[in-house]
Amino acid sequence: MTVQEKTSSVQSQQRTPLVSRAALVRWVIILALVAVLEFTTRTGMISQSLMVPPSEILTRLASIVPTEQFGQDAARTLTTILVAFSIGLVLGIPLGVFLWRVPAAGRILEPFIVTGYAMPTLLFYPVLLALMGLNAGPIIVIAASMSLIPIALTTMVALNAIKPILHKLANSVSASPRQYYLKVLFPAATPLIFPGVKLGFIYAVIGTVAMEFILASQGVGFRAGFYYRELNTADMWAYIAVVIVLSVLVNSVLTWLEKRIRRDML
Amino acid sequence: MSQVSPIDSVEHDSDVVFDNIGMTFGTASGVTHAVANVSGAIPEGKFVSVIGPSGCGKSTLLDMVGGLLKPTQGSVSINGESVTGPRRDTAMVFQEDSTLHWRTVLDNVAFGLEVKGLPKAERHERARRMIELVGLTGFEDHRPGQLSGGMKQRVAIARALAMEPRVLLMDEPFGALDQQTRQFIGRELLRIWEKTRNRVLFITHDIQEAVYLSDEVWVMSARPSVVKEVVTIDLPRPRPEGTHALPRFRELEDHLWALVKVEAEKTLGPGARLA
Repeated sequence: MTVQEKTSSVQSQQRTPLVSRAALVRWVIILALVAVLEFTTRTGMISQSLMVPPSEILTRLASIVPTEQFGQDAARTLTTILVAFSIGLVLGIPLGVFLWRVPAAGRILEPFIVTGYAMPTLLFYPVLLALMGLNAGPIIVIAASMSLIPIALTTMVALNAIKPILHKLANSVSASPRQYYLKVLFPAATPLIFPGVKLGFIYAVIGTVAMEFILASQGVGFRAGFYYRELNTADMWAYIAVVIVLSVLVNSVLTWLEKRIRRDML
Repeated sequence: MSQVSPIDSVEHDSDVVFDNIGMTFGTASGVTHAVANVSGAIPEGKFVSVIGPSGCGKSTLLDMVGGLLKPTQGSVSINGESVTGPRRDTAMVFQEDSTLHWRTVLDNVAFGLEVKGLPKAERHERARRMIELVGLTGFEDHRPGQLSGGMKQRVAIARALAMEPRVLLMDEPFGALDQQTRQFIGRELLRIWEKTRNRVLFITHDIQEAVYLSDEVWVMSARPSVVKEVVTIDLPRPRPEGTHALPRFRELEDHLWALVKVEAEKTLGPGARLA
């Protein structure tokens, strides 16, 4: 055991500087890309009707972000994403549990779900617009259905991957079904479900921003699409930058959460 | 050899008693008689091992005592009550790693007590004592991922002992460990058991291990399995390190091997000859 402990502590000692070195290189790459963009757009190697210099995006952002309109757009987009994701979770996890508990249903329904995964759901957007009107509703439906699928599938796969011995153990100590679910099944499955939840969130973001881009009355994606159609490249890029920052932020929060959960697994 | 027929043994109410139990499984290829007509008793404070050829239903026997399987014939009774499902006075240790990886060692050991509804302070106090007993002091806050296979099994043993079971059921608990760890943890188990003196039903296919640990070794026959012979291990306790070298140890080992060999040859089919 002492040998094992030593090796694991040696690994963690080596890992920390490696990770920070990787992060450093990553930042260098990002800064280099920004510098290249700045240079190529300023010198006209990239036409300013396609891309504006990053410094100009920043100045545009500085004047856009404080406006009331931006606040409303950001709030609309964020709430749409959160509502869609919450629906994805609330429906996806029970659906995954159901597919696991009733393997026959799993076998029957799995092809539909996998097809749902592969299908560009956005094609139903016009129909939903006609049905529900030009509001957040159709976007939520599309984004939620995109978010639900990976969550349901990974929940099913995660529960299937749990070692039967844990069921035997719970049984042997006379755990009630409720105790089995709460104290054994869900903690055991959480680290395996999490990648699906993360994917579900990402899908909710993509679904929301893409639908807003196509047609909406408000939202960050709508604004980017609006300026695109107006050939206002600078403002379009400013909103694209907002979406990029948003995605990076959300993704790092989720990655941090995932690491915390995984740490318990070791 | 000191041999007694299992049926001759005196049966007390407080004992674990097998009354002519049998188990048949319906399978695709027909009905399998896993266990047939097993009778016997585990007396207070005794360590009983069950050996036999693979697939002879040793684990089935154990699962029936643990209430995980219901015998299709006869009954198992503990303390005069027939076993109908998992009981709070039995505890199991499995061959496979059954630690909960998201819990610390302390909370793993306290798991059974937590399910039982013991208050946190009390179950942690009891778990700490068991951790000390199995020699894992200092590892209370570690998670199973940081432990070796042998240490994980000690966590499982501590978890079972924390339940203060009337019978400790061990299903090849060291089967997945390497030889050295196995011998070491076997000695550890004996040291712990000398202190607790629970009844133990210990399934193994390792004859040496069975002789070293037990008061009685039940030899099971090939399917449909019956207890072919109960061999009393009359080696003095405590059993120090040199026990394996005693002439009596060798005698018992040879006798058991001879019994198992005949059954194993039956299992392996006609013509099979074991050296």
